[in-house]
Amino acid sequence: MTLAESAAVVGDLRKARRKQRVSSIHWVDALYQVYITGLLSIVAVVFASSLVGDQKVSAATLVDVQQHGAAVVGLVASLAVFLGLRSGSRGGPLALEQPDVRHVLLSPVDRGVALRYPAWRQLRFLAFVSAAVGATAGQLALRRLPGNGAEWLLFGAFFGVVVVGLGFGSALVAAGTGLRSWLATVGGGLLVVWSVADLAGRAPAAPGSFVGRLALWPLEADPLALVGVAVAALAVGAGMRLVAGTSLEAAERRTALVGQLRFAVTLQDLRTVLVLRRQLAQERPRAQPWIPAIKGRKAKFPVWQRGLRSVARWPASRIIRVLVLAGIAGLALRGAWGGTTPLVLLAGLALWIAALDAAEPLGQEVDHPGRTDAFPFDRGQLFFQHLPVVAAVSLITGLVAGVVALVPVGSPVPPGVALLAGSVAGLLAGCGAVVSVVQGAPEAVDLLAISTPEIAGSRTVFRTAWPPGLAVLGTLPLLAARAAERGVSDPPPIVAELTAAFPLLVVLVLLGGWVRFHDDIHLWIKQAGEQMSPTKAVERAAEAREAAEAREAEAVAESRRVGDDDAKDRPPARVKQPPRPAPKAKPKPADAAPGFRGGTSAKPVGRKRDQNS
Amino acid sequence: MSTAPALEATGLTKTYDELVALHPLDLTVGVGESIALIGHNGSGKSTFLRMAAGLLDSTGGDLEIAGFEVGDVEARATTSFLPDDPVLYDDLSLREHADYISRLHGGEGFDDYAESLCDRLGLGDRIDDLPARFSRGLRQKTSIVLALVRPFSLLLVDEPFVGLDQPGKVVLLELLDEVHSDGAATLVATHDPAYVDRVSRSIALRDGAVVFDGKASVDQVLGLVGG
Repeated sequence: MTLAESAAVVGDLRKARRKQRVSSIHWVDALYQVYITGLLSIVAVVFASSLVGDQKVSAATLVDVQQHGAAVVGLVASLAVFLGLRSGSRGGPLALEQPDVRHVLLSPVDRGVALRYPAWRQLRFLAFVSAAVGATAGQLALRRLPGNGAEWLLFGAFFGVVVVGLGFGSALVAAGTGLRSWLATVGGGLLVVWSVADLAGRAPAAPGSFVGRLALWPLEADPLALVGVAVAALAVGAGMRLVAGTSLEAAERRTALVGQLRFAVTLQDLRTVLVLRRQLAQERPRAQPWIPAIKGRKAKFPVWQRGLRSVARWPASRIIRVLVLAGIAGLALRGAWGGTTPLVLLAGLALWIAALDAAEPLGQEVDHPGRTDAFPFDRGQLFFQHLPVVAAVSLITGLVAGVVALVPVGSPVPPGVALLAGSVAGLLAGCGAVVSVVQGAPEAVDLLAISTPEIAGSRTVFRTAWPPGLAVLGTLPLLAARAAERGVSDPPPIVAELTAAFPLLVVLVLLGGWVRFHDDIHLWIKQAGEQMSPTKAVERAAEAREAAEAREAEAVAESRRVGDDDAKDRPPARVKQPPRPAPKAKPKPADAAPGFRGGTSAKPVGRKRDQNS
Repeated sequence: MSTAPALEATGLTKTYDELVALHPLDLTVGVGESIALIGHNGSGKSTFLRMAAGLLDSTGGDLEIAGFEVGDVEARATTSFLPDDPVLYDDLSLREHADYISRLHGGEGFDDYAESLCDRLGLGDRIDDLPARFSRGLRQKTSIVLALVRPFSLLLVDEPFVGLDQPGKVVLLELLDEVHSDGAATLVATHDPAYVDRVSRSIALRDGAVVFDGKASVDQVLGLVGG
């Protein structure tokens, strides 16, 4: 089949499908999506605007921006390339439909023709979003920095497009050439490390910094910035040319998983997102655990044992990821100690993401409600017994972060303070991870979910934010110690830190109770909600009325029967009552068949995974 | 006319980390040959078929279809794959599916042959319905239509009888016979021992390696696959 024929056939199908899709979109839905997108965009812009402020920077700060700004912004470009290479090495960035892989890519049409159109479409969308974000960032920068408003807008948008071009182009090249995953990680990682070293003034200008100069063009025009533009154009061009070489195996794996991943994100089901991301990255537990199990030894604490076996099978990539996250958290703690307070957010988030891996054994239980419901005790009891392993792994991760925080740069952190800060932050991050895993996806239909988007949205934000919020809360003792160090408070730093840490340890106890009685609490709230529901109240009133009417009708019929009997002058007949069934004896808990207590917590997504396993 | 075999695998391997799904495999399927691929669960049948279809990348070795490397345009034009999991568009009717796939392969679209296939498989009344709303069996029948509506000289079939009712199974067997008599090679992976009686050659896989290649009886098959 020639290129023209291929294009014609594939194009015809696209037109037909687009027509069907457009006809199935209701204008109310479309308007609603525009409304929600607009609302969220306005909230984001207002929030960012309040963070940036509108005071013009001092001359000294302006010099700093001119010297280091390109490296800071360039780090974004390096990260885009890193993520693009990683995505491409796993079959990305295209998320095709599975039937397209099976029918179009297996047919004798030119694969380049079949793949370039979705690639352009995806690039177009990303470039548009990125340009909008870049332009907004440019406008925010204008409030603090000197320069022309139109230039900030234009170059902000231009930088956004170039970053997308670099990331997307790298991904297409990596996918088309079949770049190995480890090579992509090493190559992209080196770029990021170079950018960070450049930022710290320990290395010559990184490639990303040249791209960063484009964003700062309104401050200082630098023709070298155009090198980044050329590289981005080259990457996109090469990617479009090579895209036909994308592996069908990787593409098909991705098609199935990306669809599920998007659905899980829509449901805010973090646990499913994690599981699918691991599948996408082909991250599987080791067949042989790092530490072999001792055979013949009877496990005294089977749940702990099960958790430890799970951790012992962590693949190397997961261990490295957790260590890297602990390292990032440690450096962020160090930066917070040095005075950059917002870095506690980064530290908390990094430790929380690491702790999500620590909560994997617990997550496995949550994923398989069919199994947990079959155990002869409450789910809460089982989940509670998983907490020590989560706490132990999170604690170790936090300690690693504490050790990294001792990095000898600038004013040193006292070792005791660093280790205690890391430990508490790690434990609280573990709490956050446990909450994320146990709370699962929101109920599809409940009182709040069917309320207005503003109320349901606030609930969603709270549900999403409080687990990482707990992790960030865990970094407060470090700030207390810092305040003591600077003489704001009397006690020595370590005492101030311990004082701040104590209430946080109470959170651990509360969390244990929440996990143990989560199902009961959930059931109680549900019942209370039903009691308060006006619909349910009407239903209950209707049921009571029907029951009263039935009793009344029965009484009338009975009196008529009695009246008839009297009229016939018969001795009053004894009304024969239907025999009442003997009340069933409730089995004592001890008598119940093992595994017969049904749970009430089965979730559709979990069930599905359960069935698939 | 090309004298190359319909399929030729030389030292073909597939591994997933430490798991060996297919040991080095040497296998030739002649033009117009009809073969049953048998083996227990996890023996490597589906892996091999998907590699032959171009859906899985090999870890090592060579695989050629009609003398062309698997994945080449010519190889794709030659090979039709009927998977065990029907993959269909949600927004196309059965007629539109068949029309599209036929045209992708240079055909005329939904023609009389496509209609006759639908009729024989009991889909005559559902031609304009969306397969997304079909039952598992009807989706499998749709998949059969799509595999046969286009030209090919090698038909790869993975567990074709799963989900089919008895009439559907009978029609599929007839269609496979017709395909064979038209000169196409067929390679059918199945757990149905009765199918081996209909073919001249059976290949048994166990743990990713060929353990039998030749004319097999039902009893032999049961012994080989542990039935």
